[in-house]
Amino acid sequence: MKPWLRYTLAVALGLVAGLGGAAYTVRSGALGSGQSIGPWRTGADFGTAEASARTRAVVAMAGLLALPAREARYYTAVTDDAGAALDGRCRYRVTGGNLPARWWSLTLYDAAGYLVPNDADRFSVPGAALAPGERSSWTIRVAPDRQTGHWLPTGGIDAFALTLRAYLPPDGGKGTPPRAALPSIVKEGCA
Amino acid sequence: MIWRRLAPFVVGILVAVVAYDLALMATPRLLMAAAFDRISAGGVNRFTFTPLATDTSRAIVRPSPDLAYSSCPFDLAGGPLLVEVPPVPASYWSLSVFDAETNVAFVRNNVEAAGAPIRAAVALDGQAVPTGYARVRVEDPRGVALVRILVEDRAAFPAIDAARRQARCRAG
Repeated sequence: MKPWLRYTLAVALGLVAGLGGAAYTVRSGALGSGQSIGPWRTGADFGTAEASARTRAVVAMAGLLALPAREARYYTAVTDDAGAALDGRCRYRVTGGNLPARWWSLTLYDAAGYLVPNDADRFSVPGAALAPGERSSWTIRVAPDRQTGHWLPTGGIDAFALTLRAYLPPDGGKGTPPRAALPSIVKEGCA
Repeated sequence: MIWRRLAPFVVGILVAVVAYDLALMATPRLLMAAAFDRISAGGVNRFTFTPLATDTSRAIVRPSPDLAYSSCPFDLAGGPLLVEVPPVPASYWSLSVFDAETNVAFVRNNVEAAGAPIRAAVALDGQAVPTGYARVRVEDPRGVALVRILVEDRAAFPAIDAARRQARCRAG
């Protein structure tokens, strides 16, 4: 093979590998892949120039217009506590207590990051939906079919993600909450 | 001889690394530009008051169904952008300004505003801003100003929706 052809081929393959790798990194990166806290992944540098190129690209893809940590922390889970992928055909028990935030909500998204159609037209459970007496110890059922108590429908889709928004964290978003401060996600069964 | 054989591989690896880094660095700007085009369907330098997000919402990924969004895609080519957000009957609301690279250039919430309207002037270097506005400096003329309002009960949304429409976003 002539030298110029070898170099041309090398440059072409390098471009394909580099651009393909970047596309894979951005598309496969979860919002907040910087820190793991149990099943939850988060980051404290969203929306800032200090974030790495990878974080900035992933946030632009998975959570464009996300706020900086002092205003809101975003915790996203794509697995349960046991590490199994969240499956919309299964039932989960999400339990937690007082969260480090002025207000919070738990929202369910499909793999592309959009809200999931369901018969109840319910897409999230805000902390304000909890009675004052249960805010220190609450349970949300995440399942395809209607549940008693607080229910977040999955719509029966194959894979979903949960995003916990915690606005105005008391530490200004500077710290990393301990595992016990964030909800647990336990699979109860599948259809 | 060995170098001649290895050199194309080395060049290929270098090209891959550079292409990877450049692609990651370009991604926020490209995605922001695409979002700008979607959001600006309702006009530039003016607020669009979006309904509460549902499963059909596609303008932005990961919308919060608990927040009422009012977005103002801006273009500073003709001068600074003046934004005024009066208080609304909600326990949380905020104004944030995102630049063309998706960086947050400004954010202020109702707790910080302590019941007063939030006034911000988004400007490029060299653009004068009126007094009474917080100056928000950006490097690129395009970006998005975004108001988030917490809607704890969807039954309260009509009242919040009426109140949020008092917000103004205009070229100065």
